[in-house]
Amino acid sequence: MTTIAGSWMKAVDRPFASPATPTCTTPPPATTSTSLDPQAETLRLFQEHGATLYRFCRSVLRHTGDAEDVVQETFLKLLHHLQHDGDTRNLKSWLFTVAANGCRDRTRWRLRWLPWIAERDHRTVDPVDEEVRLKPDTTQAGRARKAFRALAPRDRLLLSLRAQGLSYKDIAAASGIREQSVGRLLARALDRWRKQCVA
Amino acid sequence: MRCLTDIEVQAVVDGEASDECRAHADACETCRTRVDERRDQMETIASLIDADGMPSSALELRLRHAMSEAGGQPDRIGPTDVRGATVLRARRPSPWRNVGLVSAVATAAVIALVVYGVLPRLGAPTTLSASEVLERSLQTISSGQGVERLEYEVAMDGMTDGPVVIRQVIDRDNPHRYKVASYRPDGTIATAISQDPVRQLRSQLFHVDGTNYIVRVGAIHTPVLSIPQMAQALVETSIGIMQAKSDQQLTIEDGPTGRRYIVEIPPVTPQTSTTTLDLISARAVISGTDFRIQEFNATGTILRQPFSVSVKLRTHEYIGGAATDDSFAITPGPDDVVLEGQADEDPVTELMTTVLRELGRARGN
Repeated sequence: MTTIAGSWMKAVDRPFASPATPTCTTPPPATTSTSLDPQAETLRLFQEHGATLYRFCRSVLRHTGDAEDVVQETFLKLLHHLQHDGDTRNLKSWLFTVAANGCRDRTRWRLRWLPWIAERDHRTVDPVDEEVRLKPDTTQAGRARKAFRALAPRDRLLLSLRAQGLSYKDIAAASGIREQSVGRLLARALDRWRKQCVA
Repeated sequence: MRCLTDIEVQAVVDGEASDECRAHADACETCRTRVDERRDQMETIASLIDADGMPSSALELRLRHAMSEAGGQPDRIGPTDVRGATVLRARRPSPWRNVGLVSAVATAAVIALVVYGVLPRLGAPTTLSASEVLERSLQTISSGQGVERLEYEVAMDGMTDGPVVIRQVIDRDNPHRYKVASYRPDGTIATAISQDPVRQLRSQLFHVDGTNYIVRVGAIHTPVLSIPQMAQALVETSIGIMQAKSDQQLTIEDGPTGRRYIVEIPPVTPQTSTTTLDLISARAVISGTDFRIQEFNATGTILRQPFSVSVKLRTHEYIGGAATDDSFAITPGPDDVVLEGQADEDPVTELMTTVLRELGRARGN
C-alpha cells in the first residue's frame, strides 16, 4: 500500500529526479531570457531570490551553515542550467525544487553519521540545531518557533514552501507530492503545529 | 452549501479554492472566522521563517568565487564537483583573537593607503588614460612628504563587533616610521603597532581582559613590516586592475558640503584569480575640493582569499612640524602592563619570545 508518507520517504531514498526539468506551472517572467549572460543572470536571480531561498533552507535544515551551502549549490546548478540553455520558465519554482532536493540530500547525509553531542564539540562548526544552544524562549513567539521546529520534516518543508509564496503546483513539484494532496497535507501540518503550540 | 472543511478553508487562505468555496467563505460568518484564524496562523509561520534573517554577506562572495572558478568550464559543475562549503566557517571568539587583529589592522591600513593615496587620482578619470593614471599614481606615492595623520572607520567581513576606528600616523619621508591603532565601537583601544627607526623602537599593544599589554622592543636592527612600503608594493597591482576596468561610472553630486564625485566599478565575475589582489566591485565617494576619497567600498580577493571592506574617512591632515617622537610611540597608561623584549628579525617571533619569557618568569623558572 502506498501512502503519502511512504511516497515522501521514497523521495528521500530513491535517486532524485533531475533538477534540470522541474514542472513549470506559471508563465515565464518577462525578464528571463536565455540570451543573457548566464553568470549575470544567476547573480541577478541570487539578488532576487537568495534571501527567501536561504530562509526556506534554514527553516528546513535548522542550520545556518548547511542552509548557505545548499543555497550556494542551488545557484551553481542554476548557472549550469543556464549555460546549457535549460528551461527558463518559472525559475523561482526551479530554484525551490533544486533547493528542496538539496535539503533532502543534506538531511540524508546527516543520517550517515553518528549522533553529534554538541556540548562535547569544541571545533569550529556550529551544532546541527543551533537552537539547542539558546536559552529556552517562553514567549508566545518562542513557543510557536519551538513547535514549528518540532514538526516532521515534511510538514516543515510544505509550510516553508507555502510561506515563501509558492503555489500548490509549485509545492508539488518541489516536494514530490501530488498536487491534489498538497492542500490536505498543508492543512494537517498547520493543525499539528497549532496543537504543538498549546501542548 | 455546507460549511467548508479544514482543507477547503486552507485552500481559501492559500488562494487555491474554487469560486464556490470562496463565495461561501464570504457569506458564512463561521467559515469566514475560520479562514481568518487560519490565515493568521499561516502569517505567524511566515514571520517565524522570516525571523531566520538574511544569509551572511560572505555567501554572495562565495558564490561569485565558485562561479568564477567554474565560469569558463561549465561542465565542471556536476554532482561530484559542487560539494559543501568552499570556505571555513568562523571560529568561536577566542581571548587571543586580538592577536589576529594586527593583521586586520595592517590590511586595513594598506587598503586605506591605496584608497587615500592612489584612488584620489582616479577621482577625475574621465580624461586620463590608464597609463597616465598609473604614472600619476606612482608620482603621488613617491612624492609624498611630511607626516600624515588619518582617522577612518573600517568594516570588514568577520568583524562581528562592528566597524573599528583606525588612527594612523605615517612619516612619508621615512616609510618605516609609523603608528597604527584600532579602536572598538565603544572607544576602547583594541590593538596598536608602532615602529620608529630613528629611536630604534618597535611596540605592539594588545587589549586582553580589560588590560593593555604593551610589548616594547628596543635596538631594532632592521625595521620590518613597513605598512607604507607594503602599500606602495600594492599600488602597481591596484593600478593594473583599474586599467583592466574600462567600465568605470562617474556620477557628480552637488550638495551642501560641495561637489562630490562617485566612481563605481560595476560588479564583475572574474575568472579564476591568479593575482595577488583582484577587485570584483568598488565604489568611491570623492570630495570635489581636494579629490580625496571620503568613502570606499570594495569586494575582491587578496592572495585568493575573499574580502569585503568598507572604509569611511573621518579626518585627514598633514601635521608636519607638529609631529614628535611621541607621535610614533605607544605611550603606556598607569594600568598598562609593559613587557620589554629583545629585537628579532621577525616581529611575531620577538612578540612570542617576550611573552613566553615573561610567562616563565611568572612561574619562577
